[in-house]
Amino acid sequence: MTWFDSSVHRALAEAVLVGALGGVVGVHVLIRRLPFFTMALTHATFPGIVIAALLGADLYLGGGVFGLLITLAVVLFSRVRGQDFTAATGIALAGGFALGVVLVSAQDGFAKDLTAYTVGDILAVSARDLAITAGIAAAVTLLLVVFRRELLITAFDPVGAAALGLRTALIDFILLAAVVVTVVATVPALGVILTVALLVGPAATARLLTDRYALLFPISAAIGVSCGVAGVWLSTVWNVAAGASIALLVGVVFGLVFLGSHGAALVRRRAAARPL
Amino acid sequence: MSLIEPFQTPFMARALAELIILGVLGGTVGVVVLLRRLAFLSDALSHTIFPGVVAGYLLAGEDGVFWGALAAGIATAALLTLLTRRVAQDAALALLLTTLFAAGVVLVSRRSGYASDLTAFLFGRVLTVTPEQLWQTAAVAAVVIALLAALRRPLLLRAFDPVGAEAAGVRVGLLDLVVNVAVALTVVAAVRAVGMVLVIALLIVPAAAARVLSDRLTVIVPLACLIGAAGGWLGLVVSWEASIGYGLRLASGGTVVLVLVAMYGLAQAAGLVRRRVRLGRARTGLEAVQ
Amino acid sequence: MTERPPSTPALILDRVSVAYGDVPVLEDVTGTVNPGESVALIGPNGAGKSTLIKAVLGMVPVVRGRIEVLGGPPAQARRHVAYVPQADTLDPDFPISVEQVVLMGRYRWMGRFRRASRADREEVAAALEAVGLADRARDRFGTLSGGQRQRVLLARAIAARPRLLLLDEPFNGVDAVSQHALLEALAGLKAQGTAVVVSTHDLAIAHLACEEVCLINRHQFGFGPTGEVLTPERLRATYGGRALELRGDRVIVGQT
Repeated sequence: MTWFDSSVHRALAEAVLVGALGGVVGVHVLIRRLPFFTMALTHATFPGIVIAALLGADLYLGGGVFGLLITLAVVLFSRVRGQDFTAATGIALAGGFALGVVLVSAQDGFAKDLTAYTVGDILAVSARDLAITAGIAAAVTLLLVVFRRELLITAFDPVGAAALGLRTALIDFILLAAVVVTVVATVPALGVILTVALLVGPAATARLLTDRYALLFPISAAIGVSCGVAGVWLSTVWNVAAGASIALLVGVVFGLVFLGSHGAALVRRRAAARPL
Repeated sequence: MSLIEPFQTPFMARALAELIILGVLGGTVGVVVLLRRLAFLSDALSHTIFPGVVAGYLLAGEDGVFWGALAAGIATAALLTLLTRRVAQDAALALLLTTLFAAGVVLVSRRSGYASDLTAFLFGRVLTVTPEQLWQTAAVAAVVIALLAALRRPLLLRAFDPVGAEAAGVRVGLLDLVVNVAVALTVVAAVRAVGMVLVIALLIVPAAAARVLSDRLTVIVPLACLIGAAGGWLGLVVSWEASIGYGLRLASGGTVVLVLVAMYGLAQAAGLVRRRVRLGRARTGLEAVQ
Repeated sequence: MTERPPSTPALILDRVSVAYGDVPVLEDVTGTVNPGESVALIGPNGAGKSTLIKAVLGMVPVVRGRIEVLGGPPAQARRHVAYVPQADTLDPDFPISVEQVVLMGRYRWMGRFRRASRADREEVAAALEAVGLADRARDRFGTLSGGQRQRVLLARAIAARPRLLLLDEPFNGVDAVSQHALLEALAGLKAQGTAVVVSTHDLAIAHLACEEVCLINRHQFGFGPTGEVLTPERLRATYGGRALELRGDRVIVGQT
């Protein structure tokens, strides 16, 4: 395993894994309108990570447990009649992150730790982190493949799905669990704020490129992987933050595709309007 | 725990004043954010102004920060309008948020020691508020609140019935732009004190708590302002007590938010009790009739 | 009245009451639907029509009374019951084709892992044929008009070969061509022995397509043959006086 001895190589491998994972899970995030919820989730895992660090426990476990707790709380809460899911999500986001900030500030070394959490530190990824990410990627992919029909039917028509006999609550939970786990895997690399970039950008770009559900997944994964790898490379060349470079590239790629498809639509309209 | 003692020093008094003004501003704008479900937009704005802050600072020092942030906020609103023609709104917001924030981080990370600059932006420095900054915040608050007060009828109509509002002659597009600008100004003003990450709390939590306690706008708005201001006050008291009494240095911005969330929790509990009492009364009333 | 061979009713409602928490939503609904028959559920918005449909699907528990679907409790009968929601509750931007939507109706046969078989594909084609949209199979669902999307959702239910079909306001805002196609498809299903429950605001359609009507506004104001039950007095009682009488016996119901 000599190739993995270099931190840059490990960062590249991590970028490939989180890029593909984020791309695939991102399609579901997009279709089920979960970007805001995912943002809240990334902020909510933060106190879990901090508490785990304080207790000397595994950071992934801490982040994951807290993330699942928050997910449960928000889902249960929004089922109470008359409660606003958006407001609940916003409060979970703010409250979760504030808790993490306060916990970290209670110790010393405030600034540097927080920076790593918020913008990530993909170059500090260890071989163990890499193994865990690979395991998570494999597990999540398996889950999404096994339940792909149920996920599609529930996404398209939740009431109809329940009428067909699908256990929609279970499907929803599986999806949210997949998102939580993906977030926990990605936060060490990209940080709390920028993780959402990989979970939304590649999928949104893929959606601009195709109308076919089945194609969304490979296209989105490919975009995620390319942006991940290119971002790490750019950060070594320009000496800038790697996670931020990845997120920036995701945005730039989306922007280019958006302009391109917008331009194409305009050209089509002009051509159609031209008198014969 | 003394509620007055911590504020005898000038810097604490200024911090208190800043947080009270921000609480009132956040409470007012927050009700609009709640009614129009603009929580994610507000969160996005708090992140997208970052490259504006960095660019403004690089170009014009401390003074450039405000205008850089404002320019970035307006650019965000414009880009959002463009994107939402073809992309779902929350996806567009998520993309704008992360891309622009990432741009800011990339810019800032070229310098060494960028961690502390980032921290100040992310978590705020309410304890180092200067008198000038206090006046600036007060000015922004006055302008925004006056604006919203003047527009309260079209705002309410638009929130409740957008189509009816348009039919009644309300210029919905213009109104939305005004609201977005109001949110952007609030975000820019609050970022300095509580930091980017926690601005959204000031906007969402007081209004949500007030909403739980009342159904009438004439009560909700002042209640939200009260809760916002009280949260700031208590938050400062708690972090001061922790520091003096227990030797724990707690981030003030974070403490304020936790106090606000706790107040929201209390409001929810009170709301639950209120609902139960009402239901019980209704049921006994029904039984008496039958 | 046509002779019907004796058979198990497709649906039996026996003094059914439903509540959400402490709030009663439906009280004392009673009636029977036989195979090959259709009943129109009529009542103002919020009357409990959707709730009744959900109760028949087993998605909402019954507080009092009993529902029997195809001879047993609702949960057991799901294999043979299909549901058609209103098309405008679905996201028109969803990246899915018309064919894929109809294929969803075959889920019961395909399960989680099996690929779509030839039989599945034939059923999909037949169902699309029945609603007159065979030529749009490959198009994205959202590119169709509202009425056409409603027809696709009916095709999805047809592909499931149900013995009981439940439709939630399928005719709302649907153009004349699609309405005709929907009625034709429903008639075809009834001829094959499927029982149909359809909620609607449209009294003309009730007269045209349904042997029985059920008048609901939290309570039941009638359940029986259309000609007998759909009277101005009963409609006025159902809609709480918000009905306008025209020409003595025809009643136009105001939008609620």
